[in-house]
Amino acid sequence: MRAARSKLLLLLPAAAVFVLFLVFPILIVLNESFHTFEPGRIGSVEGGPLTLANYAELFQPVYGQYFAQTYVLAICSSAVSIVFALPIAYCIARTEFAWMQKAAISAIVGLMFLSSLVRVYALELTFGSAGVLAPLMSIIDIDTNSRMYINFVILAGLLQYSIPMSILILIGAIKNLNPRLTEAAMSLGASALAAHLTVTIPLSMRGIVSAFLVSMTLGVSAFVIPLILGRGRILFISNLIYSRFSEVANYPSGAAISIVMMVLALLLILVMSRLATTLERA
Amino acid sequence: MNVLELKDVTKKYGGFTAVENLSLELEPGKVLSLLGPSGCGKTTTLRIIAGFAAPDEGSVQIAGEDVGELKPYERNVGLLFQDYALFPHMTVAQNVAYGMRYRGAAAAAIPSRVKQMLSLVQLAGMELRYPNQLSGGQQQRVALARALATDPKIVLLDEPLSALDAKLRLELRIELKEILRSVGATTIVVTHDQEEALSLGDEVVIMHAGKIVQRGTPTQIYQSPADKFVAEFVGRSNWFHSTRSGQSSAGFTSYLTGDGVEIRAKSSPSGYNGGADLCVRPEHIQLVDSAAPEAPSDAQHNSMAGVVLDVASLGPDVHVVVELPGKVRLLAIRKNVGKITGLAPGQCVRALFSASDVLVFDVDWR
Repeated sequence: MRAARSKLLLLLPAAAVFVLFLVFPILIVLNESFHTFEPGRIGSVEGGPLTLANYAELFQPVYGQYFAQTYVLAICSSAVSIVFALPIAYCIARTEFAWMQKAAISAIVGLMFLSSLVRVYALELTFGSAGVLAPLMSIIDIDTNSRMYINFVILAGLLQYSIPMSILILIGAIKNLNPRLTEAAMSLGASALAAHLTVTIPLSMRGIVSAFLVSMTLGVSAFVIPLILGRGRILFISNLIYSRFSEVANYPSGAAISIVMMVLALLLILVMSRLATTLERA
Repeated sequence: MNVLELKDVTKKYGGFTAVENLSLELEPGKVLSLLGPSGCGKTTTLRIIAGFAAPDEGSVQIAGEDVGELKPYERNVGLLFQDYALFPHMTVAQNVAYGMRYRGAAAAAIPSRVKQMLSLVQLAGMELRYPNQLSGGQQQRVALARALATDPKIVLLDEPLSALDAKLRLELRIELKEILRSVGATTIVVTHDQEEALSLGDEVVIMHAGKIVQRGTPTQIYQSPADKFVAEFVGRSNWFHSTRSGQSSAGFTSYLTGDGVEIRAKSSPSGYNGGADLCVRPEHIQLVDSAAPEAPSDAQHNSMAGVVLDVASLGPDVHVVVELPGKVRLLAIRKNVGKITGLAPGQCVRALFSASDVLVFDVDWR
């Protein structure tokens, strides 16, 4: 009893910080999202009536487009990064040479330390409408100002984060797998590919789902990447929230969008972990 | 025709030679044990046969076909891993069925074959369990059923019993032998456990430092080891290192150790007279009270006075350690058959053993 109580006591500081700096501010945002806004004001009308108008507004098609853009690109980057990261992570996790593994992991971690602004401008300088590759693009008849092209450049920006992150997560998942399992599958007649499809991938499903969710989170909350690479033509929800708060000072609307994003994220986690459990036992 | 033929196989890892010039043949339906200490190359040999390692030199033939270029999944070799490597996300039935669909079994034939394999390993009714719901012994049987289900040309067992506790090990050893015999599987058992090797194998191959040291039936291996390594590795033994030999007559020689012990044994087969390493199995040593009437001590018998140091009763066997003059220790094993005269530490005894029971090896001057 005493030990249990002292354990609770140890949890207290963290819990206090958590409540004060996370739960409380989110509640403020939640409260703000139910208030009315009058143009020209900063924030909601004080003492005004509670309303669902800020949420109802989000059903207009123009908002749907923001959500679609954000989620489609984030899902694409997560899926693509799993496809790229899985074989790389497998090779790193299974290499015979310890030094090679260390070198690879350090390189990937190092990559993630590179400032996001630097990477984004590097992409813009290379693939942007005034970038070094622009003349080449015009030769092969690719319009660097088309939405499709801009989508691809943003995707490339998102992948710069999601691939290294996925590799690191998947290395852990694959290292936990008994290498004898793939050998057993191969000794039973499964080709290397079939062995990976029937054994390695189902058994790393937890890791794959984690990597997907982390990439999703990075993608959905991306701010600088769409801001710069999107060139104002493609904006993510984060950019919209930013403009609601900072440019037009419509706090209630920004708050409502934020709350919707949070709920969507929680739903996604719920669905994905359910999916992982079913896939594992399939 | 031999099911398996390895010819002059060599495998190196960097500067380390794991397997050197190894040749091995195996007839159909036989069980061969590959026994050796860790690092002797037995696991590498197994991986070469299974196709997970490619030999640097030499050839591997399975059922008359050179499989050097074939991937593991292109050879029909059944593998039973030490840790079983059952697929944790599949049921018992799915595990057993896994190989069949890749080995070209008709989909309709699979369920009945799974049933047949599971009843062979006495796990009927366990089809829908997952591996983590099974005991260690049951997991091993599933792994065996999975390996045998594809009707492999050779079955390779990697330390099959080492993950089980001692009591279960004995049960499963007998069962494993029966199952392998009933399906007539040509089998190689790779192990560092001599009991496992000697009990499962029709023949035993002893490996040391990448080479085969001896091949023979379990009895041959134990009774006439080819060299000191085999004698020391298989079974328990008492060693005397003699530096010179004394008189010899009628095929027997008396050897003298540096500690002043005199041992009578057969003359060295090479005729070398400088000295020899002598080995006496503990069960060949008889202990009698030193007060008992003097036993015959001629050129063909050894009789040594000593003091009992320790008596350990291990169920069926009693291990007695006797100290001879010059601090030489001798282990004697007596069967616990009820008529043991109570030996106690400190007691003076005579150790008796026949000169023909002493194994003689030339001193290795290398």
